Amino acid sequence: MSTVRAATLPRGALVARAWAGLGAAVAPLSNAAGRPLTRTVKLILDPLVLRPVLNPEFASGAVAAEHADALTSRIADAGPVLAATASWFTVLKKERRRRWITDGNPQDLYFQRCFELATGHGEPGPDAADVAAAVLEEVHGRAGPTVAALRDFVTDPANAAELTRLLDTAWDAPRPPAPALPAPALPATAPFLATCAVTPDRALFAALVAGSAGSAGAADLDRPGVALAHGLTSRDRPVRPELGRGASKANLPRPFDRSIVERLFAPLTNAFQREGLADVPTLVRREITRSAGPWQLADEESRLVVVLGRDASADLAGPPVGGPGSAAARLRSRWEREAYVHRVLRMPSAAPPEVRADVRGVREAYLRRLWVRLHGRELRHDTVTSDQVWDVLDGVLRSVILDQRDRLRSVLEREAVA
Amino acid sequence: MKVTRASDVVVGDWPTSPEVVALIEGAGASLAWDVLADTAVPAARVHDPERAAEWLWEVYGDAAEAVLGGASEVEVPADGDWRVRDACRRAAQLEWARAWWPASVTAGVPALDPVVLHVERAVALSTVEHLLDDPDAVERALASVVSLAVPTSDPELDALAGRIAALAEDYGVELRPAEAPTRSGFALAAGGVDAAGGVTALSGASTVDWTLVPHGVVDASAPARWAVVRRQGRTVLEVSVVPGPTPGPRLAARFGDVEVALDGVDAAGWLIGSSPVSAAVLLLPPDRRVLTVYAPGFAEPAAPDPDAGPRRAAIISYARSRIGSPTATTTERTAR
Repeated sequence: MSTVRAATLPRGALVARAWAGLGAAVAPLSNAAGRPLTRTVKLILDPLVLRPVLNPEFASGAVAAEHADALTSRIADAGPVLAATASWFTVLKKERRRRWITDGNPQDLYFQRCFELATGHGEPGPDAADVAAAVLEEVHGRAGPTVAALRDFVTDPANAAELTRLLDTAWDAPRPPAPALPAPALPATAPFLATCAVTPDRALFAALVAGSAGSAGAADLDRPGVALAHGLTSRDRPVRPELGRGASKANLPRPFDRSIVERLFAPLTNAFQREGLADVPTLVRREITRSAGPWQLADEESRLVVVLGRDASADLAGPPVGGPGSAAARLRSRWEREAYVHRVLRMPSAAPPEVRADVRGVREAYLRRLWVRLHGRELRHDTVTSDQVWDVLDGVLRSVILDQRDRLRSVLEREAVA
Repeated sequence: MKVTRASDVVVGDWPTSPEVVALIEGAGASLAWDVLADTAVPAARVHDPERAAEWLWEVYGDAAEAVLGGASEVEVPADGDWRVRDACRRAAQLEWARAWWPASVTAGVPALDPVVLHVERAVALSTVEHLLDDPDAVERALASVVSLAVPTSDPELDALAGRIAALAEDYGVELRPAEAPTRSGFALAAGGVDAAGGVTALSGASTVDWTLVPHGVVDASAPARWAVVRRQGRTVLEVSVVPGPTPGPRLAARFGDVEVALDGVDAAGWLIGSSPVSAAVLLLPPDRRVLTVYAPGFAEPAAPDPDAGPRRAAIISYARSRIGSPTATTTERTAR
């Protein structure tokens, strides 16, 4: 350390130092540079050890110098549990390999289980293999909802009629009247978006939720062409979804055009996302109700985040509207950076025709991806909080951009083969 | 190093030409090395200081605080634990090689093995995963990895094969099985425009602009040749170019206003094409007799960068120096 003691220290540096002190025992939770894995931080250190929700002084970013020792000793104190977590992870991976399990990301699926095992059992003992087998059984053999159960449920003649009636009722119910207020009188998102990246204003967010800004923002969607312009449907205006029978991951229609089955398909096929889902009949009935709500989402928070995303992404390609540091300015800067990265990575400067529509329609792709994320979080009861809004808004654009890179590369490769 | 502040904070001299940039996209900041400059400390462009602060100290040590604190000049300490920075450099170098490695028969730069490249790239990215912008970068990188067939004749490759298998297991990614090597031999250096059965009225050669074709599709150093040939009373423009190690999309060439599709292959493996032209093409002034090879759908033909020639020559000789070099990545070292 330098002799001049800084008022704050980067949390990353403190964590790295404390982590290094734990030595080789935590190697299974570390990368080759000896730092904790991204998911070690996200799934173990943050929620289970540092817990910034309870200890805001340990939040990521700068840590005040007077809390630095507390942070490092917290990690050091957790050393034995973390070492046991690492040992359990190794045991689980071994058992997974023995059973030829290939489903899901082991870090996502097992990290928190390993921490629980470490807390309850300490280091793996003689019965470790049995314990591991039981955990894998629970994670992978979960009796929870599956695609097959979903298909059986909706195609069972005993249910189909009732479900169709439910759909009709939900969609025939009178919509909440669109606010007769002129647009400027809607609760404004700009003040929240101005600072949400660095200092999200919880009170403003709560006020927007209470004022139903999200639902109000959906009022236009039934007008011809509006939902289409948002990229959420291929139709002129949204229609009642079908119940559906099957789905294919590769060819899902736009969100509002998806059947009830298609909406539930992706979350059910992902082992990590499946955790904590309700049973199939409940999922289907809730999805039917959800499909008739504003933005075809159920929670006011999710609806608000769509509106925030819509407003923040409005000027990706047009003239800038957000002030410096605002969510809009930051999203735009990410998008502009991509043009440079394309040149450095020698990506096509003239987009091939099949990708061109995606590139032009980045905002539509953005809103589609955002909707899918929020929908998935609703299913897992993982409501977006004001602190998470920026990570969601930014993460969705990153994911759209990176998928676009992958698509451009695969188009090039396909052309090469042809 | 100097620090400039506009909408982004820029540390050091950000390299100007994309083809010398070894880039890594970190959370809140990107790092760039100029591959021709051979410096350990990269330039940085910080767009989100809060996120970048978490890891910038791994790159600049104590100077990171000054960078983020408003200094206009910082001194990066020479001593320190730079393992993470060096690992970033390796990952960035592989990104560069993936885009710009100038494989060329004529210049004696062998092709990289794409299997080794993707394996080493995934391993390198996993080493610095904690500071990358994309939290799923390792899974994304693993998606394009094909298993390395072992044992090889190279202990470093065997070690890489072991690491990639463990990495794939840690992330629950099933690697595609090793394929029989498909790398075709390069085209022979001899071949090209051949005026058999005609009379060559004019001919010439132009270099191929790297930015107009995908990586590896055209020999990085061989010129594209053109000839205006009179045959049986007709005038024809014939074009040929030496292919690189990677098959790519169909190429085309532009000469004056004439567009030629390079849709044929001659006996030597060169890509060729021809197009009937009016005899007026012979009257083009010499400065307009320029052949531009490009890949439609990848780039539009553009005027060449006048500084590109010497820079590309330097990149080619840099690449040659990497083969067999102990400081190079395994991918570069084992190019053949």
